[in-house]
Amino acid sequence: MRLTTFRRALLAAAAALPLASAAMAQGTIRIGMTAADIPLTHGQPDQGFEGNRFTGIPLYDALTAWDLSASDRASTVIPGLSTEWAVDATDRTRWTFRLRPGVTFHDGSPFNADAVVWNVRKVLDRDAPHYDSRQVGLTASRMPTLRRAEKIDDMTVALITSEPDSLLPINLTNLFMASPTQWERLRAAAPTAEAAWNAFAATPSGTGPFRLTRFVPRERAEMTRNDAYWGTKARAERIVLLPIPEANARTAALLSGQVDWIEAPAPDLVPQLRARGMTITQNTQPHVWPWQPCFLPSSPLSDVRVRRAINLGIDREGLRTLLGGFMQPAVGTVPPGHPWWGNPSFNIRTDKAEARRLLAEAGYGPQRPVNLRVQISTSGSGQMQPLPMNEFLQQDLKSIGVNVEFDVVEWNTLFGNWRRGCQDASARGVHAINVSYAAMDPFFAMVRFYDSKMAAPVSNNWGQFNDPRFDALVAEARTTFEPVARDAALARLQAAGVDEALMIFIAHDVSPRAMSPRVQGYLQPQSWFVDLRLPSIR
Amino acid sequence: MLLYLVRRVLYAVPIALAVGLFCFMLVQIAPGDPINAIVPPDAPQDVVEQVRRDYGLDKPLPIQFALWLGKVVQGDLGTSLATGRKVWSDLHSAIGNTLMLAFAASLIGFILGCVLGGLAGTFRGTLVDRAATTFAVAGVSVPHYWLGMVLVVIFSVQLNWLPAMGAGPGGSADWRWDWEHIQHLVLPAITLSVIPMGIVTRTIRGIVGEIMNQEFVVALRGKGLTRWNIFVHVVKNAAPTALAVMGLQLGYLMGGSILVETVFSWPGTGLLLNSAIFQRDLPVLQGTILVLAMFFVGLNLLVDLVQTALDPRIKRA
Amino acid sequence: MSGLIPTAAEAELAVQAKTAMVRSTGYWGGVARRLSRDPVTLFCGGVLLVMMTAIVFAPVVAPADPFQGSMLRRLRPLGTPNHILGTDELGRDMLTRLIFGGRLSWIMGILPVVFAFTIGGTLGVIAGFAGGKINMLIMRVTDVFYAFPSVLLAVAISGALGAGLGNAILALTLVFVPPIIRVSETVTTSVRNLDFVDAARASGAGAFTIVRVHVLGNVLGPIFVYSTSLISVCMILASGLSFLGLGTRPPEPEWGLMLNTLRTAIYVQPWVAVLPGICIFVTSICFNLLSDGLRQAMDVKG
Repeated sequence: MRLTTFRRALLAAAAALPLASAAMAQGTIRIGMTAADIPLTHGQPDQGFEGNRFTGIPLYDALTAWDLSASDRASTVIPGLSTEWAVDATDRTRWTFRLRPGVTFHDGSPFNADAVVWNVRKVLDRDAPHYDSRQVGLTASRMPTLRRAEKIDDMTVALITSEPDSLLPINLTNLFMASPTQWERLRAAAPTAEAAWNAFAATPSGTGPFRLTRFVPRERAEMTRNDAYWGTKARAERIVLLPIPEANARTAALLSGQVDWIEAPAPDLVPQLRARGMTITQNTQPHVWPWQPCFLPSSPLSDVRVRRAINLGIDREGLRTLLGGFMQPAVGTVPPGHPWWGNPSFNIRTDKAEARRLLAEAGYGPQRPVNLRVQISTSGSGQMQPLPMNEFLQQDLKSIGVNVEFDVVEWNTLFGNWRRGCQDASARGVHAINVSYAAMDPFFAMVRFYDSKMAAPVSNNWGQFNDPRFDALVAEARTTFEPVARDAALARLQAAGVDEALMIFIAHDVSPRAMSPRVQGYLQPQSWFVDLRLPSIR
Repeated sequence: MLLYLVRRVLYAVPIALAVGLFCFMLVQIAPGDPINAIVPPDAPQDVVEQVRRDYGLDKPLPIQFALWLGKVVQGDLGTSLATGRKVWSDLHSAIGNTLMLAFAASLIGFILGCVLGGLAGTFRGTLVDRAATTFAVAGVSVPHYWLGMVLVVIFSVQLNWLPAMGAGPGGSADWRWDWEHIQHLVLPAITLSVIPMGIVTRTIRGIVGEIMNQEFVVALRGKGLTRWNIFVHVVKNAAPTALAVMGLQLGYLMGGSILVETVFSWPGTGLLLNSAIFQRDLPVLQGTILVLAMFFVGLNLLVDLVQTALDPRIKRA
Repeated sequence: MSGLIPTAAEAELAVQAKTAMVRSTGYWGGVARRLSRDPVTLFCGGVLLVMMTAIVFAPVVAPADPFQGSMLRRLRPLGTPNHILGTDELGRDMLTRLIFGGRLSWIMGILPVVFAFTIGGTLGVIAGFAGGKINMLIMRVTDVFYAFPSVLLAVAISGALGAGLGNAILALTLVFVPPIIRVSETVTTSVRNLDFVDAARASGAGAFTIVRVHVLGNVLGPIFVYSTSLISVCMILASGLSFLGLGTRPPEPEWGLMLNTLRTAIYVQPWVAVLPGICIFVTSICFNLLSDGLRQAMDVKG
């Protein structure tokens, strides 16, 4: 979504409003989510990033946060509950984080270094009384190098990693700070730590701009504005979250006025929604919908010319038309202009003649077409519309002499196979896999695919890519701690990945939303997340 | 009579046990190690081993069953893999919602079925009979979830008369019997009512037709009794069977509402089952099925007992 | 839909009628004569026959390839040239998809009943003829399955086993075995106690001969008629499982699954999106009426 001048003006006006009048804005915004259940509310949400979007960021804060205040530039990491941080000059596995003063949890207890240590221990210290194994899976994999926390003084903590890792501040956006005081209070009345966490999920206490005021499992969660919030306060008085997994039911709910805002309307229904005066919003997301190649010698995609040819042979605009405009053509891991873009020399575009030339150079032609097998899923989180999209690609690539065949599996199976690698029997001899991924964190966007140490089954280097040059680029990015220099190192990694065509880059999701015209002030950043403090209802 | 009642109640005990065994086996027949159905996939090994001991999964199957049964009897249906909440905590509100939906559907189906069946039985062989019978057959032959979708398109999206999904503005937790909430019940209840409507119509038609042909009714008619007297007689005789059919229908609808609940996002046991299946949340699947089946066993028993009390012929048997 | 499974009482009526007729000649002739005078049953039989022919000869009859779609012509309305019933969400010809989809839908509707007829019929006849402890054992196990509403039973089994055509058929078979056992047992017991069986026994015929000649000859008909009445229920249950995603997988055409994938299209092309539902409805109602007609034709009182 491009911001109109009018909206920009509105936003500016909103930002300029004194706190008192912001607090006076009224209204309840009812949101229809795609999840089948309310994401967990104990501080480490499930349901992927939809969970962080709706029961993470609104209820809690992390030490670092995403900048969600603009729609026309990439979202970057900004201070959250920590105001500044730095890595130790001598020991680069040790970081110090200075904490934001004067912040209190919803239960009134103060946020301080003890609370940070407590929250790190909840997922990393097995001996801690409040260690919760159920939160580990949702958290530890998103901060793979973090090991422990130490209190330096009341307002300063040290975080220790297993190896030098400049990506830690980005990872930390996923560790939400829950109130130790509230938990201890609930623990006193609960038979086990697990029961205490369950009780905490029903009456959570964080530092976020909203407090959970009502929770009906599987049906609705109500969040009320936290008037004691440390930052800019929310404008809407209440947010109601309703899980409506079925796209039709979501649309019908919006059309019949039962909700004000729905996530991911079915593209087919968008004209209908527009005709009824609903606003449809979208913006580039740090998301990639690729075909990830297998680099084993038996795979035609081990030849860089074939990978480049396929990247050039895809009509991304045609695909966008198929999706009713709800996608962005992907020409790299991040779009041009992003701090990590890095101006690659290989320009991904649609150029079928060049694609055919490259294929001919690689020894393919009308007599010897490229036969490609791709493993895809029928559905899945972030997978957009895998069947029609892949069928489109199949028809499209015929024109450059690439015959594509699909191995269609269930989403969970595909996701599991992703971790096993293309050398594994689960790949059933396919040459590429179609698993989409979030690209806001460089580890998830690039490192786990390009680093030879991340070869499956260790992580998601499914294609067994192994190139010392890329290992060195990854190491350089992870050990460069000055933010600008680190971004430059990441940009070199990104550009190299495009030049070598390490992915068949196809699409970025644009996270379409539909909302009633009564919703005002909404802003869609280039992120998976949304700042729920901004919208209000007329 | 008393002996019959005692025997009937006692007979329900082994059935209930066997139903429990079946539900226990559901986790066993599921592909993979049953432990994977109980602990989340990312649980550390020591947690896995702890749970394996807690659940007695290192013991032979009969002992495992006994342990599981012991927990169930104490009301512990286990913990959901997806949410970490106790299965029962989600289940009890869902049961209330499904019961409400099933009851409303049974009521609509019963009333419509009695009217249609009564008319068809009274005027056997006429056009009225034909129409009512056709309607009944259509009712049992229609894929009702599809009917639900069509109703949503017509009444929610096109006409905007009734809401398309959910259980009211506040969810089922603050359900009230006012129009704002009841309107959410209308479409799902009508959709679900076509089955009992068809079945009750068939049953009532049969009973009424039979009674009307009985010699003494024909004789009563000859004696010049009013239509009202005959009507009362018919109702008296048809009531036990009709009620029995209806009672069982309520149980069938409780277990069969999964499709309708999915279409209307009605927060009942069906929706719970549906999400449990897709998240492979076997503890929730197992618990929900167990409770629904037990409800059905209980309902069967109740229907038998009430029918015995109402129908003098069964007492002699 | 669980309550759709007819009770044993109906089949009992059938058996009484049948056993009364068994010695009179021309019974089957009578059945055929009565059927030929029943236009509704004949019509339904005709509709099903046409459907079956189309389904069996799908590759010949269908105008297009069921898997070949085109993004440019997706969700076309009814009456589009070359796509008389429109196209689906991937631009595939609806008529072709419906014809091919009928294959799996019919297989899922009929195969479980055939399996259940074989298994349930055998067990029921054994229970009815053997009596005593064997009867007790078989019938009590059957009672347990009766404690589950049938939709719940089907969903429970295929939900636990996981999605798939085989698992769905297995689950549906298990749903229909118990009612068929009950009916077969009732029918067999009533035939066993009839005079002519006693007479055969007195004349020294062995148990096997009695079963083969007399019992089977007189019980198969009613069990068969009863089983046909289950096909309609099975169709609806099977399409319901598919609709929930527990049956076959895309892109394989199947009516219940098509109804699922066309759900969003119901706002765009409602008439195209409801077609699979109409197919299920028509098939189910025809099987229902056909089975009613058969029972009436075989029942003298009818």
